[in-house]
Amino acid sequence: MKRLFTRSMITLLVIATLAGCTSNNGGTNASNKTPGDTPAAEEPQKEPTKFSIAMRTLNVAYVEKSPDINKDKYVLELEKMTNTDLDIRLIPHNEYQEKMIQMFATNDIPDVVQGSGGISGPELAGAVQNGVLLPLNDLLQEYGQDLLKFIPKDAWDRLTDSKTGTIYGIPEVLSNPSRRATWIRTDLLEKAGKPVPKTVEEMIDVLRAFKEIGVEHPFAGRKNFKYADTIFGAYDVFGYNNQFKLFPDGQVKPSFFDAENMKKAIGLYKTMHDEGLISREFATIESTDFRNIITSGKAGMWSMNANELPIWGAQLMNNVPTAKVALIPSPIGPDGSGGYAHYNPVTRSFFINANAKDKAADIVKFFNWMVSEQAELFFSFGIEGEDYKVENGRPVLEIPTDTEGTDKLRYLNYWLWMVQDTTYNKRVSSLSETGLQMIDAFDNMLSKEGRRGIEFDPRLDALIRYPDLNPKSDELPPLILEHVLRMVYGREPVDDYEKVLEEYLSKGGREVIEEATARFQAKENAFE
Amino acid sequence: MAGKISTAGYSSVIPTVRKNRLLGFMWKYKALYFISIPGILYFLIFKYVPLAGSVIAFQNYNLFKGISGSPWVGLEHFQRMFSHYDFLNILKNTLLLGIYDIAFAFTAPIILALLLNEVRLMLYKKIVQTIIYAPHFLSWVIVSGIFVGILSPSSGIVNVMLGWIGIDPIYFLGEESYIRSILVGSGLWRDVGWGTIIYLAALAGIHPDLYEAAEIDGAGRWKQTFSITLPSLLPVITILFLLKIGDFLDYGFERVFVFQNPLNLRNSEILDTYIYKAGLRQMQYSYATAIGLFKSVVGLFLLVIANTLSKKATGESLY
Repeated sequence: MKRLFTRSMITLLVIATLAGCTSNNGGTNASNKTPGDTPAAEEPQKEPTKFSIAMRTLNVAYVEKSPDINKDKYVLELEKMTNTDLDIRLIPHNEYQEKMIQMFATNDIPDVVQGSGGISGPELAGAVQNGVLLPLNDLLQEYGQDLLKFIPKDAWDRLTDSKTGTIYGIPEVLSNPSRRATWIRTDLLEKAGKPVPKTVEEMIDVLRAFKEIGVEHPFAGRKNFKYADTIFGAYDVFGYNNQFKLFPDGQVKPSFFDAENMKKAIGLYKTMHDEGLISREFATIESTDFRNIITSGKAGMWSMNANELPIWGAQLMNNVPTAKVALIPSPIGPDGSGGYAHYNPVTRSFFINANAKDKAADIVKFFNWMVSEQAELFFSFGIEGEDYKVENGRPVLEIPTDTEGTDKLRYLNYWLWMVQDTTYNKRVSSLSETGLQMIDAFDNMLSKEGRRGIEFDPRLDALIRYPDLNPKSDELPPLILEHVLRMVYGREPVDDYEKVLEEYLSKGGREVIEEATARFQAKENAFE
Repeated sequence: MAGKISTAGYSSVIPTVRKNRLLGFMWKYKALYFISIPGILYFLIFKYVPLAGSVIAFQNYNLFKGISGSPWVGLEHFQRMFSHYDFLNILKNTLLLGIYDIAFAFTAPIILALLLNEVRLMLYKKIVQTIIYAPHFLSWVIVSGIFVGILSPSSGIVNVMLGWIGIDPIYFLGEESYIRSILVGSGLWRDVGWGTIIYLAALAGIHPDLYEAAEIDGAGRWKQTFSITLPSLLPVITILFLLKIGDFLDYGFERVFVFQNPLNLRNSEILDTYIYKAGLRQMQYSYATAIGLFKSVVGLFLLVIANTLSKKATGESLY
């Protein structure tokens, strides 16, 4: 009897659990439907297109704090405007590559996948080559005319297989690829009695003056020269993934093969290190420390993305009320130019799963809507009547100053707006003083500076074979970086730089150069 | 029904006897066998089936084609690993760290446990115990943050103290000669307290009569430690040592990676970090698996040797 009781209890429990699970599922399904159903009930329109989309959180606080992004009111509003029913699957920013590869490996691919650049980015794990994603040429011709008009050719090129001419993704573009800028504390400059430095020599001079008046970090250094590569830029020796150059001997090599300029650049960094113009421990300064050093007013000069001006500027002023900061033309080197490595013209890209063929037309229409007037207004300001008012036919928005408000704007302007020119948000930026400064810097200064090289996408096979020679998008290849840092820290003489190049050649570098030259001559997915 | 078979088995032909006896035995303890099924399934599904995935070390693995569709390349990835110009250095770093770890991180908890065992004031002992095992719950990222902070040449407490005795600040993390000490030291700081738990438990299990008898025989504290405490701890020490040997080359990826920078890379690049950089970040799964397999085989080899030696020497062994 007792046994019977136990057994029946267990059976009951199992049934209850199962029922619980299913009813739960039913519950979410039902609530998922509600937003879609309401407009359908009001208008005799067709059913909203339901599709899933994987999106990287991009460290956007609003997204990461949201309890359920699919129930967020802006997502619901977006669905209403585009007659869709989105199922957004968030991918954590820092584990983006791993999670994406997992997704492909387990074949759990949503209808739309967000990539971070071209068709052969590591996060796509070769999905394009293996036919997992849908060719879009015909669909774009039919449903994406606005996209074709809005997005420039060099962005489309990144998403096109150059051999067959097949377009695989819809890019979000960066019309001004010169995004990083040189920043300086003008109040300190005044105090030191120096003019804005124009050349690297003048820059060193200013840094010394900063040191004299007691600035702790005259130039803010950072691990692996990330966002601290101003001098390499002046001498045009970045050596990053998109910084191959055609040398006079007819070979395509990484730009750090310009030994003469490279030695001068390393020499300057060494001077800065020896004189304490850059932190002596910059080799271990991580991004958060870097930001803290700057926004707490300890740095005199640094490099950062120009579109951070409104945010970093405000934080700096909060901590040091007398601080004044400006974006200045980057110090120039011997060839009369300078600046930072140009970015890829594509920031995000959206691919459609080959299995979602029957929804693909509606998905393309959804992205086509992204470049419309209505979309621009919505993503810039939010919901009318709630976030902004229309007065005399013109939208009026009060620029938020609190974290919550800025977070929300950043989310709308930058994250939820999937296809746009992401250089800066024109409508919002033109409403504030720092915003106008930033627009001015982008349009009149940054667009004229920066270094551009040859980029191979997909990456050279030789670079994949030799990880030590493989540069990151903004870091020298590990082998070179190690030697350069040792030279700056005085462990190796700078004059030995030629030996480093020989080492590079002997450890696989010859193959890199041969392959680069051959691909450049054949114009095979090589971008200039 | 099975009951019938077992009774029949006892009387019938000899070769089938053993089999039937086994079945009968199993039937007798069917409840035990039944409840062990989830455990067996767990090991089969999560431990043994994935082992088969190691075959991708002999393939050029393609994510979309899977194991059945990827081309076989034999030992190519192993050749590539052994011919890598830095392989010997990486292996040397891995071995050295492994040896240091056994020399310090393995022995320290034993010594600490013995010392704690001598503490007579219970409250004091409990407080010390809690304090020293708290760091175990910090992640390596945080531990590295703490160490970068205290070792900083400009603001770190270590360099401030060195300054008092007139030594110039040292950039510890930028100096390759210090990195191994930092790695072992930080590991020690984080895990030494946690490591004492098992030993303290073993110490608590020693019968007090032994000590009383020794005292009557006139043994002092030293004598008692060497003649009673240590021999009683020996089985635990041996087992833990054997387990440790098994993952000798497995120093751990995260704890090294968070301390690495190009200035100390020459002495801090180990197999785990190399696998991460060359294999996983660049998606060369086959290559990474080959290195991982090499690590495991070396580990297994060492484990078998150590186990045999230990069986002969002390009679204690894992299997």
